[in-house]
Amino acid sequence: MITTARIVLRPVVPADYPRLYEIESDPATALTWRYRGELPPPQEYEPALWRQTQQIMVVQGRRTGTVVGYLQLHDLDLRAGHGWFSLYAGPEHRGSGLVMEGLMAFCEWAFGDWPIRWLYAHSFEHNVHAFESGLRRGEAVRLGVLRERMLVDGRPTDVHAIGIEREQWLASPLRRRFNTLRARVTS
Amino acid sequence: MTDTDLAAGTATKPPWWRLIVPTDLPFLYELVTIVDPRWWRFSRGGLEPQRVLATAQSIAAGVIVHDHDDRPIAAALLADAGASGTGSFEYFAMPDAYAQAIARDLAPELIGAAFDGAPIRRLYHERFEGDPMLLGAAEALFEVEVTYPAFAPIGGRFETRTISVLTSERFGEWRQQQRSAAQPEQQPEQEPAS
Repeated sequence: MITTARIVLRPVVPADYPRLYEIESDPATALTWRYRGELPPPQEYEPALWRQTQQIMVVQGRRTGTVVGYLQLHDLDLRAGHGWFSLYAGPEHRGSGLVMEGLMAFCEWAFGDWPIRWLYAHSFEHNVHAFESGLRRGEAVRLGVLRERMLVDGRPTDVHAIGIEREQWLASPLRRRFNTLRARVTS
Repeated sequence: MTDTDLAAGTATKPPWWRLIVPTDLPFLYELVTIVDPRWWRFSRGGLEPQRVLATAQSIAAGVIVHDHDDRPIAAALLADAGASGTGSFEYFAMPDAYAQAIARDLAPELIGAAFDGAPIRRLYHERFEGDPMLLGAAEALFEVEVTYPAFAPIGGRFETRTISVLTSERFGEWRQQQRSAAQPEQQPEQEPAS
């Protein structure tokens, strides 16, 4: 568990599933998230949620106690030393910065608790702006763009491959600032 | 058989390929072990046979390439073919110059078969930097879209992995050019004598 002034990043528990289901049901994003608009019924949700997944961490707002989003560590490959993550934000919390703060906590947790060198993510063209500041600052790198990789509503959409390297994250000023603020919360 | 045999005309039949069948699994498994860990789809989790078998059974389609003496020497798989109109072309040969030369020769034909046999807009090819290049004449048609630096350890050093793509349009144009080049030029029609 990682606590900041605004959020708590903690492992998911079954009591969170209805909220996660609600987040994934948002029609604005359902087509581009992993079920591509075909979210399984609630009784089949748990196995679908955990497919190819090693861990799920929820981002909980400290002020309201609401789960504002969640991050998944999936397709972990300990032989190669890398894993993939997916990030889901509740519609009412997009743009609040809470889930992106959760991503910083997630990097701290993933690189701290798992022997991985790289975290990778795929981002649709219309979501990639969420990573832009990290790409600009250098905590994340764009590994390439799969042009017209997916069809969303029948239209081809680019998919960006994003990478966060362990050493880059550990040395980043953003991480130092993040942990300085964390230390103030816990002291 | 050697190149000398071929040049001397002693080869009895050209190399050929056919669709993979369940009885090819022992050869596929052998090939995966011989090139291990380069066929990452199979090798990344280790080579426990039941796991490799389960992975093989999840593949959309595949072919086995045979040499002049009918021995299987390479395998190509079309994987991850889905609703988005994309697929992954994975191709490995026995690690010797003879098998790899045959694989390279047949690669464009196999890629053509993949496009012809499935509704694919974009065909991906993933490879480690140290993998033998087996795409033959089709190699130049693929364009690298993603590079994963130091993706996985092979033989004591981390190798970079790339994802390249070939679109159906680009391949179609190239194939048309090849066919046109192979046909004898047509003589212009003679003007009728008046």
